[in-house]
Amino acid sequence: MSDNTPNAQQKSGAVQTTGHAWDGDLQEYNNPLPRWWLWCFYGTVAFSVLYWFIYPSWPVGQTWLKGFHTVSYTTVDKAGQEQEREHRWNTRALLLGDLGDAARDPQRKAMLAKVEAASYDQIVKDPKMMEFVRSVGKGLFGDNCAACHGRGGQGVVGMYPNLTDDDWLWGGSMDKIHETLVQGRNGFMPAFGQVLKPDQLDDVAEYVLTLSNEAQPGEASERGKAIFHGQTGGCYYCHGADAKGVPSQGAANLTDKIWAIADVPTQKTLQDKKAVLKTFIASGVNNTRVMPAWKGRLKDDDIKLLAVYVHQLGGAK
Amino acid sequence: MAQSSALPAEQYNYDIVRKFTIMAMVWAVIGMSVGVYIASELAWPFLNFDIPALTFGRLRPVHTTLVIFGFGGSALFATSYYVVQRTCQARLAFPWLAEFTFWGWTGGVALGALTYVSGITQGREYAEFEWPLDIAITLVWVCYFLVYVETIRRRSQPHIYVANWFYLAFILAVALLHIFNNLAVPFSLTQSYSLFSGVQDAMTQWWYGHNAVGFFLTAAFLGMMYYFVPKQAGRPVYSYRLSIIHFWALIFLYMWAGGHHLHWTSLPDWVSTLAATFSVILLMPSWGGMINGIMTLSGAWDKLRSDPIMLFLITSLSFYGMSTFEGPLMSLKSVNALSHYTDWTIGHVHSGALGWVALVSFGSFYHLFPRLYDAKLHSQTLIYVHFWLATIGIVLYITSMWVAGIGQGLMLRSFDDYGNLAYTFIETVEFMHTPYVWRALGGAFFVAGVLVMAYNLVMTVRASRREQAALEAKLAAKLAKA
Repeated sequence: MSDNTPNAQQKSGAVQTTGHAWDGDLQEYNNPLPRWWLWCFYGTVAFSVLYWFIYPSWPVGQTWLKGFHTVSYTTVDKAGQEQEREHRWNTRALLLGDLGDAARDPQRKAMLAKVEAASYDQIVKDPKMMEFVRSVGKGLFGDNCAACHGRGGQGVVGMYPNLTDDDWLWGGSMDKIHETLVQGRNGFMPAFGQVLKPDQLDDVAEYVLTLSNEAQPGEASERGKAIFHGQTGGCYYCHGADAKGVPSQGAANLTDKIWAIADVPTQKTLQDKKAVLKTFIASGVNNTRVMPAWKGRLKDDDIKLLAVYVHQLGGAK
Repeated sequence: MAQSSALPAEQYNYDIVRKFTIMAMVWAVIGMSVGVYIASELAWPFLNFDIPALTFGRLRPVHTTLVIFGFGGSALFATSYYVVQRTCQARLAFPWLAEFTFWGWTGGVALGALTYVSGITQGREYAEFEWPLDIAITLVWVCYFLVYVETIRRRSQPHIYVANWFYLAFILAVALLHIFNNLAVPFSLTQSYSLFSGVQDAMTQWWYGHNAVGFFLTAAFLGMMYYFVPKQAGRPVYSYRLSIIHFWALIFLYMWAGGHHLHWTSLPDWVSTLAATFSVILLMPSWGGMINGIMTLSGAWDKLRSDPIMLFLITSLSFYGMSTFEGPLMSLKSVNALSHYTDWTIGHVHSGALGWVALVSFGSFYHLFPRLYDAKLHSQTLIYVHFWLATIGIVLYITSMWVAGIGQGLMLRSFDDYGNLAYTFIETVEFMHTPYVWRALGGAFFVAGVLVMAYNLVMTVRASRREQAALEAKLAAKLAKA
């Protein structure tokens, strides 16, 4: 401690204890308050009193002391008119000021207007606009979409579609992505567990695996093919005669080795691959793969920007 | 030097003190281990195992309740019952009520933890107990007050020692806080709705939350400090005058500062300002306790080299000084804009909880045990081992939380050229993974220290039992001869 006068006093015996003793030897010196401590204490009080004059502080009757400090800021109303305002310091004024500054940022304003006016083709061809899309889109995607699709849009097999491959359940054009964002999607596939017998399920699974060269064609797959393309299974209604999927129904392409739901790729043996596929065909999809509609939750401009952002994540069509 | 005659140990009720110290150690081991587990969950989320009872949300109140009310509360019951008897030279009043406070408190904490694990909670931080437990705790607390005040009334000393002022202020303030914050309308046996709503509810909650820190974790432990530091040092307290001034300043000022937990919310601006300024004014009164404790050792600094218990006590005061400086700093609106909702807050709390509350309790317990059991501590070396494990643990904890908190705060407010946020929230979470690992490691160090302490104390008690048995056998043999 800097103030060591009391110590010197202690040593010379000048400082007395209070004369009381507890529990044998428990006593107290009667040292004065450390000078530096006292002045620092006064300092904090003075600081606070000053602060009370500058910022809103003590309540008085129905109102409170507003403080002398003021904030001036510019707001932009709905018609785009700028309005200068001045208020005694308060957090609401600070927020309005920040929002106004952000809305008036010339570079941002100019780019937003440009992107709003441009067609998808124009945006994609303009590197400056794409840079802006990536800047806005990163935050929009990260805060709204990443919770399911992952930060990079890589998805989770069996749960959420991968947005970076070129396989699109509902179409990968800019307009289709926009539509998906606006109205949301609800994937559906009937459960075949009651419709097909276990060995029929086996055959269909075998056949589906041959479509992407996971299995070699054989007797079983031939039987499966008949079910797939016949009235027993009727799989071709949705997945198409070529099994390449029908985006208007959200039906998957089964020929491209990309698996959105049944976790085929990580299975080691053909037997396991068939097993996961079989389980999936038996149970189908019903209200388990729902993408929410973002219209009303995000601004229209933001949805447009997001559509471009998702489009450029990879695999765009 | 004036001396007062100390009563022989048999005159005091040590049984209740022993019970509470043992439970404090039990809660420390369980509560802090739960802490390490939930810290690990944040670093490695798979540890949730998709079991609701194991998730962070359920276990976090278990951790805070077991360490604050279980460990901290039992340590305060133990030391306050010890200190009030010894400084008043009076046996504890109403022994059956004191016994009830032990079973009531221990049962309340245990039941609380069980209800949180099953998802029953009021959802108020540090006040998660549902209403039936709140009522039970109030009852225990009233008994505590009666035992304490009656013991002081029966004192054979003209003056009331400073430690007792702090303990008494703690008992009164906590009663006030507990009752008002838990005013609620019961809806079923396990559900209730707060009597307050909106910003009033938030203000009530943080008036409680802040002063729980102020009176439970600060004032009461200062009471502990005021007895065990001068006792262990064998020297008078530095300044009686400072103790009066800082006591009243602390008691008066703490109650105003709770609003700083709600800066930049719908809290009225003037409440924010008052909370921030009273927090700043609170700095020096808080430091008064640190000065009084550390300066008590003035002229006997060499004890830090030879006495590991002193090392615990003085280090705890240093951490107390550091966290009471950090607190007012973080209560400033501009600093708070960065620190709020980040792990800086968690680091700050733990520099106080581990550095101050836990270390001062450990030091006091090491002083207490030989006296409670009339035996020498099993090992001095193990006290040093405990000290270093604890200190390394705290330093790892605090620094990793500074990195995580300040880092996340800065990331959340950085913008790119277009005025868009440079980082998404999830990127800030990814960034925090490494500091989270270090934090869990720091916590593990701290718990390892507690286990070393528990071993040391168990061995001490065992040796004491053996000696006593041998003594009794000797006595019996002598009697048989005669």
